[in-house]
Amino acid sequence: MAAPAATAAPSVPPSLSLPPSQFARLQPHAYLLAHLSPPSASNQPSIRANGRAPSQFRVTSANAGSLTHTNGSAVVRIGDTAAVCGVRAELLHTEDIASWSVSQASGSNKRRRLADLGGKLSEEEDDEDTEEDRTHIEDLNLLVPNLSLSTGCAPGFIPGAAPSALAQSLSHQILSLLHSTRLVRADDLRVWYQPPNLGPEEPERHNEDEPMDVDAEQSATAEEKPREIKAFWVLYIDIMIISLAGNPFDAAWAAVLAALRDTKLPKAWWDVDNETIVCSDSVADARKLSLRGLPVSSSFGVFEADAAAGWRAHVIPDVAEQEQKGKKGFPERWILADPDGYEEGLIQERASIVVDKEKDGKTTIVRMEKNGGWTVDTEDLRQLVEISGRRWDEMKRILDQC
Amino acid sequence: MMADRRRINGPPGGTRPAVFASNLQSGTSATDRAQRQRQPSELRKIFLKTGLIPTASGSSYLEFEPSASLAAARANPKSLIPPSSALKLACTVHGPKPLPRSAAFSPNLVLTTHVKYAPFAARQRKGHIRDSSERDLGVHLESALRGAIIAERWPKSGLDITITILEAEDDRWWGSAPDSHDASWGMMNVLAGCITAASAAIADAHIDCLDLVAGGVAAIVSDENTGASTGAPKLMLDTDPAEHRSILSACVVAYMPARDEITELWLKGDSSKASLEDGDDRTGHEALIDGAVDAARGAHTVLAEAVRESLLKTVGQI
Repeated sequence: MAAPAATAAPSVPPSLSLPPSQFARLQPHAYLLAHLSPPSASNQPSIRANGRAPSQFRVTSANAGSLTHTNGSAVVRIGDTAAVCGVRAELLHTEDIASWSVSQASGSNKRRRLADLGGKLSEEEDDEDTEEDRTHIEDLNLLVPNLSLSTGCAPGFIPGAAPSALAQSLSHQILSLLHSTRLVRADDLRVWYQPPNLGPEEPERHNEDEPMDVDAEQSATAEEKPREIKAFWVLYIDIMIISLAGNPFDAAWAAVLAALRDTKLPKAWWDVDNETIVCSDSVADARKLSLRGLPVSSSFGVFEADAAAGWRAHVIPDVAEQEQKGKKGFPERWILADPDGYEEGLIQERASIVVDKEKDGKTTIVRMEKNGGWTVDTEDLRQLVEISGRRWDEMKRILDQC
Repeated sequence: MMADRRRINGPPGGTRPAVFASNLQSGTSATDRAQRQRQPSELRKIFLKTGLIPTASGSSYLEFEPSASLAAARANPKSLIPPSSALKLACTVHGPKPLPRSAAFSPNLVLTTHVKYAPFAARQRKGHIRDSSERDLGVHLESALRGAIIAERWPKSGLDITITILEAEDDRWWGSAPDSHDASWGMMNVLAGCITAASAAIADAHIDCLDLVAGGVAAIVSDENTGASTGAPKLMLDTDPAEHRSILSACVVAYMPARDEITELWLKGDSSKASLEDGDDRTGHEALIDGAVDAARGAHTVLAEAVRESLLKTVGQI
């Protein structure tokens, strides 16, 4: 095809000179494949079209606390994907919770039972604590993450329209990850009130001639008056994806994490005179959230040289056999860490792994999700967890700096 | 009200914003008020950068310099209540792109503008659905830009401009009680920022314009307690509403310096009481418009510099 063009117009250089950017648009699959599997003669390493190695993440930067009207905020950029997260805390009074008195009665019974148990292992206590965390945070909707893509972040998301399926799915993933990691402690969100011990004075004044033991009994009950929860902080976690170039979940989650680490809640107390919760505006009184761990999410995509090969193997067994013979092994595939927007369009199978590391450096898997194909096996997953562990170190360094 | 099932809703009973104890005590001391440290004709610095969002045809990010009080509060945080806030917004341009088949024929470029506050942008939490003030801003922005774009060069095409406001300006100082001079003054600053940012993003998208449109704000303010010789209302450029006791009138313009043309003019309030210098026989609103144009000229220098940078970047890529 190029030959006749060259002969027709000899002054023009032979016209296979399609600029790479156009070739990338016309034949995206072949373009990426050519980068990943360079001819063995050329001695080039297998790199992605964006210049990264398959397991390399994009350059990440984070910046926290730059928004004025938030309790905590962060901007995270992963390559060209940018997410802004703002955390706003508002108060949920227990009188506004429809079923509060009912659930509280059963809850306090439990606590009394717990107190009766007395000397028990601290581990158990922690379990019970987290159980109550779960019920309070999940049942009362104390964490409200919402992700918005209608910011003009990419063409195709119509601004002003209802959240797209992707935005809804991402919001929900963030919510479920917040719940399952138990990142936020319910105790940080509770506003307690200790009723003053006014009990013993009243009976003394009114019935002085009554026997003393009744008095003592009454004062005893008054002293036992337990402190009560008057309100909860509700954290509205809003994430705006300002720029979308692939892998929005990692960026959004990192932004949520950085914003929660930055979040300061004002000191709040029940004001008896006004019958409401008042807060102190002093920064010295405010306290940060004490988060549980640092779960870091890493996403991967699987790029296959011949995506249909696996399917063909099942539908037409003979063909598969032939192919197996011809190629001596499975069709080639690459697991790409942190896929950008261009790669995401060519990827069917995805894996998302959320890991945390304990103090002794042991990696724990918090969430693992893999869908869209079957080429990633157990051994691959093990490697991915290892890569995610390295990513955790990197993200911790970045988040600690911001 | 029906809960929005496509979003994650908070507790069904609703939540209340925090009430600070210092607000409950009546008569907050006047020394705490944010004070304007700039000269009446001195503008705030503008940070404007283009091309931050590669998936869009054009984009820009704009940030106003924090006022003196906010900068002090950030450097040395004491109170959780911010004294004022500084505008931060991101603007993207998608297009020109073909109109959908269902759309009627248009010989010109069809411009659509969307302005949305982030839920955390203002002192009061904003909803997820655009409210009337956001729609109003969109309409004002559209009319400001329509006059600058040479629309007949793209028949049957559409251009989407989306602005996300990450941090808005206050309408008044947070501690002062609402009074008769209240209006959404902060919105006018936001509009001026939107115009400047959108203009940069349009230039970044290489769309032909008559000139770069810049937004500018001027206001007539009366600060009774500033210790000035007279308490008469004065003209100030680029006002931060949080720094003034009461704003009588404000004006925002979208201005093209090369043609000396105003594409959008929005004037609110009573401008008749302005006390101008002796020998100045302009009426109040004339002075106000001139002031806003001066502010826009200032913004234009920043805009031109940002566009020049954007151009050099594209030339460098080729």
